Amino acid sequence: MTPEDKLTAFFAETTPPARDLAFQAVVAERVARRRAFATVGALIPWTIAAIVLCWAIGPMIEPVVEGLGQTLAPAAVILMLTGLGVVALMASAKRLRPI
Amino acid sequence: MDGASVDEGLVRAARSGSDAAFARLVERHQAPVRAFLRRMLGRNWDEADDLAQEVFVAAWGSLGRLKDPAGVRSWLLGIAWKKAQDRMRSGLRSQARDRSWLDETAPSGGISQEDRLALAYAMAELPSDQRACVALCLADGWSDAEAAEALGLPLGTVKSHVTRGRARLLAVLTGGSDDA
Repeated sequence: MTPEDKLTAFFAETTPPARDLAFQAVVAERVARRRAFATVGALIPWTIAAIVLCWAIGPMIEPVVEGLGQTLAPAAVILMLTGLGVVALMASAKRLRPI
Repeated sequence: MDGASVDEGLVRAARSGSDAAFARLVERHQAPVRAFLRRMLGRNWDEADDLAQEVFVAAWGSLGRLKDPAGVRSWLLGIAWKKAQDRMRSGLRSQARDRSWLDETAPSGGISQEDRLALAYAMAELPSDQRACVALCLADGWSDAEAAEALGLPLGTVKSHVTRGRARLLAVLTGGSDDA
């Protein structure tokens, strides 16, 4: 075995397999975690703005809300949940679409 | 379709939000990135693989800033190079290297344990720039120009580093002088 061959063999030992599903899975998990943190971070200013807005206009719309609340609340909840479900499905389909 | 075209398509798809495309990029480039970091950081492969994961997560976060989507391989190696430099500066490398000498579970790849340790020591003793050039050009078959682009070094410097690094590694095996 020549010194060149030894050098080649030494470098070959450090070469990982061409496909490594475990490594890819860990990267995907870390990317998903980072995306989740980024999403939560991006929502914080909007949440604060919504809270401030509700606090500001609360006294003005309180009589209206009380009047409509009892009749429209169930329908609003159903619509909101359906909308969230549709948005989640569309986002998942876009990300997981085969290429 | 050649590799660069495939990469270009995958980068564009990943930028538009496709996790499947990014997973394909990871699949295509994990081996060279991990091999490079293993050669840079010594025989502590777990540390190198952990750093490689950080490279891909960082790449995912800055994919929008990649100017040439076809050159994603060089770009990834550039990120890996910066992270390896940070890790080596932090002093963790020497601790990891010390621990790794105690690890007797090295793979048996046709060279003696004595030669393997000698080469590992010699690699670790190379200046980091020189080691990076050796890791890419000698070990992974990159051209000098590709390595220069990925590492941000002048082409002449890369050529010189490869020649000197090769001479030093061979000198360890032959017991000769490493004057190149």
